[in-house]
Amino acid sequence: MTIPTGQAHEAAVVAVRNLSKTFVTGFLPYRRIASVLSRFLPSSPLFKRVEAVRGIDLTVAPSEVFGLLGPNGAGKTTTIKMMMGLLFPDEGSISLFGGSVTDPKVMARVGFLPENPSFYDYLTAPEFLDLTARLLGIPRNKRAERIADMLELVKLTHATDRPLRKFSKGMLQRAGLAQALIGDPDLVVLDEPLSGLDPIGRKEVRDIVADLAKQGKTVLFSSHILSDVELLCTRVAIVVNGRIQKIGSLDDLLGQDVEAIEVILDQVPPELETALAQRGDARKQGAKWIVQLPGDDDPAAVLQAAIDVHARILSVQPRRKSLEELFMSQTANGSSAGGPASEDTGASMDHQS
Amino acid sequence: MNRILAVAQNTFKEAIRNKVLYALLFFAVALIAASLAVAKLSLGNELRVITDLGLAAVSLFSVVIAVFIGVNLVYKELERKTIYQLLSKPLRRHEFIAGRYLGTVATMALLMAFMILFFVGMILLQNGTVRAALCKALWLSFVEVSVISAVALFFSSFSSPFLSGLFTLLAFATGRLTPQIHQLLDQFEQGIGVSLVRVFVATLPDCHLFTVSGAVVGNQWMSIHGQFVTWRYVAQATAYGLLYSLVVLVLAALIFRRRDLV
Repeated sequence: MTIPTGQAHEAAVVAVRNLSKTFVTGFLPYRRIASVLSRFLPSSPLFKRVEAVRGIDLTVAPSEVFGLLGPNGAGKTTTIKMMMGLLFPDEGSISLFGGSVTDPKVMARVGFLPENPSFYDYLTAPEFLDLTARLLGIPRNKRAERIADMLELVKLTHATDRPLRKFSKGMLQRAGLAQALIGDPDLVVLDEPLSGLDPIGRKEVRDIVADLAKQGKTVLFSSHILSDVELLCTRVAIVVNGRIQKIGSLDDLLGQDVEAIEVILDQVPPELETALAQRGDARKQGAKWIVQLPGDDDPAAVLQAAIDVHARILSVQPRRKSLEELFMSQTANGSSAGGPASEDTGASMDHQS
Repeated sequence: MNRILAVAQNTFKEAIRNKVLYALLFFAVALIAASLAVAKLSLGNELRVITDLGLAAVSLFSVVIAVFIGVNLVYKELERKTIYQLLSKPLRRHEFIAGRYLGTVATMALLMAFMILFFVGMILLQNGTVRAALCKALWLSFVEVSVISAVALFFSSFSSPFLSGLFTLLAFATGRLTPQIHQLLDQFEQGIGVSLVRVFVATLPDCHLFTVSGAVVGNQWMSIHGQFVTWRYVAQATAYGLLYSLVVLVLAALIFRRRDLV
């Protein structure tokens, strides 16, 4: 599962090329048999082929915090599972640190938190972390200290004698983070780490990810929660229907251009109200007036008119495109968007769409 | 090796913290205890009946428990998705299979030790002695359980617990009846069909090698109360069990090596 590493990707922590995966579901209980038969009988009602991932290319550089965005069923988890060696791609290749995901030395540098993690519920958190530490080859004399550090980091020191089956969802997520980080990995892969957490739990996980970024770790995570992605990620890819629709830095994807300028006025006298009511870009909301000007317009005229009649100017706010707007437009157009985006065309495609 | 031992230790913990296992163990002990009541009806042959029934109870319940643990070894990991935690670590898939198997064998060793202690206690209560023949029979029973654990794990690597349990018990029953099946086949006209059945039976574990009390071995009737197999036979049967388990585990690892963990 390695690729010939080219010059451009020699330093890449994650290099994924033309990754594809199709699942075959249906009557036959054995997937592999069904998968082989379905190739010979593609139109048989016995099989249903689901193309989960269709030619994904992406590269994650060292110290990047990379976000994989997409609606449910977009192929994010399938992509991540292939990166972790849990699923085998039908086509394409994956390399981590320039090596294969089947190489234990490579996987010793990776920490992984699966989506909705499920653990050995008969173990306590220290027992579970001890098992993880042993698999990672952490020497016995360092294990106890590492386990204590991790429990401290994820704030589970109060629950060390409780089996994991008695943990809440948030506590399980934190235990999952602890097992992902116990080996001090260079690459941390988190599949939906923020889902199902309350605001405090989300903040705690966000802080841990931000701290990892500060330490220079490479982080790849998938999420639905766009505000968190916007806060944490240096680059993102938007995945829809198994394809990457957009990929690039947030600045590239969202653009630096001001899309609109929003002026909010209060205590507007009747003569100005009449003038504003005649404008197509102004609307009244309660006692306030909101004027939405094009991004390249000068708000001076509106502001001067407000000053002249002693109206109160509450705010003048430039508005850029939000990640949510980009995400919504991409997911809406995803199925009809044609070919996937390449690494280098994220920004230019933005202008085309 | 440390990674395999870590998985084995976890498998052991999982098994001994499973309450269903204790229910099965309770029934096994109850059956051994019940042999005392049956023995009272035997008019002077109490010790003989207790020994025979106890040995049968230890053997059968151990096989049932081994199948119960074995068929869930891989399936439960996949169903609960706990396997994602393990196989995303520097753990090779064949190490996972080896660890799960060793953990099961360690669990069975502990459970059988508990049953045997109870069984031996019953014999001593009846003023009996633990003879070498009984030790040999109990050891062969443990080897059989180790083989059945490997077979259950093999089926578990690609099948559901129900089907795995069914296949394993069929393999066990067929294995115990190997001599009778060959006798039956001798009565048919020898052809390709009979040869295919013989080959198929040869691929199943030859469990009758491990249950020699009350059977003919080398044209001689064997009994733990009289003439019994030699230590050399025990060593050969153990070697067969080890080799068979190894082959089955290699096959399980080969199947599991390319399995998608959905």
